[in-house]
Amino acid sequence: MSQLKEKLYLCSGLLSGLCIVIITSLLLAQIVGRLFGFIVPSAEDFAGYALAASTFLGLAYTFREGGHIRVTLLIQRFSPVPRKIQEGAILILSLALLSYLSYACCYMVYESYIYEEVSYGYIPVPLWIPQLPVAIGVIALNLAILDALISVLGGKQPTYSEQEDALSLEEI
Amino acid sequence: EKWHMPTPYGDGNLQTQIAYTFAKEVQDNSDLEITVHSGGSLVKHPEIPRAVKTGQVQMGEMFLGILGNENPIYKHDNIPFLATSFEDAKKLWEAAKPSIAKELDKDGMMLLYTVAWPAQSLYSKDAVNTLSDLKGQKMRAYSPTQSRLADLMNTTPMTIQTPDIPQAFSTGIIQAMITSPSTGVDSQAWDYVNHYTDVKAWIPKNIVVVNKRSFRRLDKATQQIVLDAAKHAEAAGWTQIAARAAKDKATLVENGMMVSDPSSQLVEELKAIGKTMTEEWKAEAPKEIGEILTRYQN
Amino acid sequence: MDMMWISILLAFAMLALLSLGVWVSFTLIAIGGLGLILSENYQVDLLFATSSWGASTAWSLTALPLFIWMGEVLFRTRLSEDLFKGLSPWLGGVPGKLLHVNILSCGIFAAVSGSSAATAATIGRMTLPELRKQGYSDRMAIGTLAGSGTLGLLIPPSIILIVYGVAAEVSIARLFIAGALPGLLLVSLFMGFTMIWGHLHKDELPKTTGHETSWSARIKGLRKLLPVMGLIGFVLGSIYGGITTPTEAAALGVAGALVLAALTGSLSRHSFMDSLLGAVKSSCMIGFILIGAHFLTLAMGFLGIPKALALWISGMSLSPMELILYLTVLFVILGCFLDGISVVVLTVAVILPMVQAANIDLLWFGIFIVLVVEMSQITPPVGFNLFVIQALTGKNILYVAKAALPFFLLIGVAILLISIFPEIVTYLPTTMSQN
Ligand code: NA
Ligand code: NA
Repeated sequence: MSQLKEKLYLCSGLLSGLCIVIITSLLLAQIVGRLFGFIVPSAEDFAGYALAASTFLGLAYTFREGGHIRVTLLIQRFSPVPRKIQEGAILILSLALLSYLSYACCYMVYESYIYEEVSYGYIPVPLWIPQLPVAIGVIALNLAILDALISVLGGKQPTYSEQEDALSLEEI
Repeated sequence: EKWHMPTPYGDGNLQTQIAYTFAKEVQDNSDLEITVHSGGSLVKHPEIPRAVKTGQVQMGEMFLGILGNENPIYKHDNIPFLATSFEDAKKLWEAAKPSIAKELDKDGMMLLYTVAWPAQSLYSKDAVNTLSDLKGQKMRAYSPTQSRLADLMNTTPMTIQTPDIPQAFSTGIIQAMITSPSTGVDSQAWDYVNHYTDVKAWIPKNIVVVNKRSFRRLDKATQQIVLDAAKHAEAAGWTQIAARAAKDKATLVENGMMVSDPSSQLVEELKAIGKTMTEEWKAEAPKEIGEILTRYQN
Repeated sequence: MDMMWISILLAFAMLALLSLGVWVSFTLIAIGGLGLILSENYQVDLLFATSSWGASTAWSLTALPLFIWMGEVLFRTRLSEDLFKGLSPWLGGVPGKLLHVNILSCGIFAAVSGSSAATAATIGRMTLPELRKQGYSDRMAIGTLAGSGTLGLLIPPSIILIVYGVAAEVSIARLFIAGALPGLLLVSLFMGFTMIWGHLHKDELPKTTGHETSWSARIKGLRKLLPVMGLIGFVLGSIYGGITTPTEAAALGVAGALVLAALTGSLSRHSFMDSLLGAVKSSCMIGFILIGAHFLTLAMGFLGIPKALALWISGMSLSPMELILYLTVLFVILGCFLDGISVVVLTVAVILPMVQAANIDLLWFGIFIVLVVEMSQITPPVGFNLFVIQALTGKNILYVAKAALPFFLLIGVAILLISIFPEIVTYLPTTMSQN
């Protein structure tokens, strides 16, 4: 079970990385195309879609790795019990927020689908397709927060703060 | 009541100035307060149609051509050499308006008014007397229509984003583009390009739309005030844009650009291209576009 | 509710959430949502989706993850070490020593990248670990990086100058040229300060006098610099040689960095994956904060707070110098809570008319705005260079902000200088007219 979870987190990071590779390739193709006189149709649009996909698909991985930053100046001074309460409270708050955002993003995809919205660039792309990774990414982040909340409720330290502590130890 | 109206272009543009006048007229005569958010400051241009459609904002302005992928009738003012004078553009708009209004209505939007841009003309590094002068050069294209036009003009289409244009000219990525004299003045085209040939390829428009539900929620008197203000805005648009086009062309001359009318040979060559492209456009939706063309040509 | 109370409530709520350890991006989104509700706009879900989609697909941002990746690749090669080895014979005798590497590399890299976060992330990835290893003061290493990272905005190409140029209808080509001299001015101010600091704090610099400063060592050092210089020269050359646009240049930078890594034998499947995941971590963090900032900007647009503040200033009928002073204060305050580009977008429509009425040159004003926005990159709680450096070092935002404070003030000095001598900005553009 926990191994599967690890794999899913890594998968989130790798998919996001793949999108960065795609952006690079698209832009390189456009440069080469310019030299040899061909056009990569809608390259800017596709690079933009890949950028959105990269940002959102990697959210869960980044969260778990402690990559999303926050101000720990005050909370680091809390003693263990208040600190646990604080972590639990902000995780519940974040879970509520992200659940709402998941709903909002899913609704966007649904709406683009029923309205048959298409991009306005060179190639008309049905917008729900590139928007799908956005919704998936937010849901994945939502699950990652839930995962962290469960471990805090179980009395364990969430992985993101392990990473944060590792970083601050290094600096002392 | 408070409404928000995002517009895509900055305050120097005629379209935005007319939007401010429109909002003021409505506010002076009713309780409806319309805040204009210019230059994409509230909602970015590509998102404006969706924001109005879904009622995130009550009304908004957009370049009509960006809807071209939704339905080819939205492209009527982007077809080269179909309507090249303001009279023709107005006639074409009257011909297209019923179809456009119907299509917008399906998406929950209502047409308020339109403001045209000056005719799109040719900017180039070298003088252009006939199409052969452009042969093999690289021309900016940002839509399928423009790309096809570049092909037919025997040039190589290049996609360049608007902010990159000056650098693209200076460094030789492109040698020609088709855009309005206003855009040329805004971006101080004389810094990077020498020739302006007034081919008047097409006259695109911005449209201002209102969300249908938001409009219905207004009382009858206010609705009428909005419609009247829209009518005034559209009329002001057609008169002021012609003056603006002349003024901007003069500014290009003042700053040392070579501004010239196209030679008769160039006009003939371009007209032939226009005919081809009108046919190709018609083929995209023969029935709807056929109706527009029939209304326009009679 | 009164707009003043709404503003205070929002600022207070933001500070509360941040100090309770809520992630920065989540905080921005939550405050944006709260702002929308307070403006009696209840379509928070639709507005969030639309604004995020618009923000996350923006063409001008596509270069950001690529530059970050480039930094990650270079960090894993010998190149960052070589950069120091090559420069130490040159800088070893200068007070402040290798701290100048931060400033100079940022200044040079700024000519390739258009954003301040990308500049700080790419250069910091290479320089911070090495400076720490050699025993330089953490605080000064971080300060110089935070400060000079902002040069990415001023030295062309620059995303914010493009945004301003489009909004104010000022030639982007001229704006780019106008940014060059003020950029050099900032570099010299930063270096001058670092020299004075180095002179006064010899104890916080590495004790070793191991820096050989003979000319033969310098020539040898240059050879070590060749690969890095070659890479930057290649990317710059491709922009000015008409092969790429500035955004696409980022892709060439990545390709070049990968080739260099392969040539020096430090490219393996493992290091490739590592660098990519490192880039994912930083760019997702920055990307999601940008999405939050964009959403907060949207709420501010509906509430009209920045506009009201700008209108308040325009109602005071100030002299040009007073106007500049007031606007600096306004931008610094807004810049604490919003990102720089948002500040420009939200206020430009109100501010430009009064700037024009005061007969202030719009070209000059563009450079002024960039300098103030540079300051906002290093003020807490919302400052992108602070975020980038916290991610790189694990140091708290407030620590980083304190380290960057002298550089914040130096940018203020630069603003003063260009106000007294506007020619610093306007001289180069006047020489460029073709006709
Ligand atoms: Na730059
Ligand atoms: Na700030």
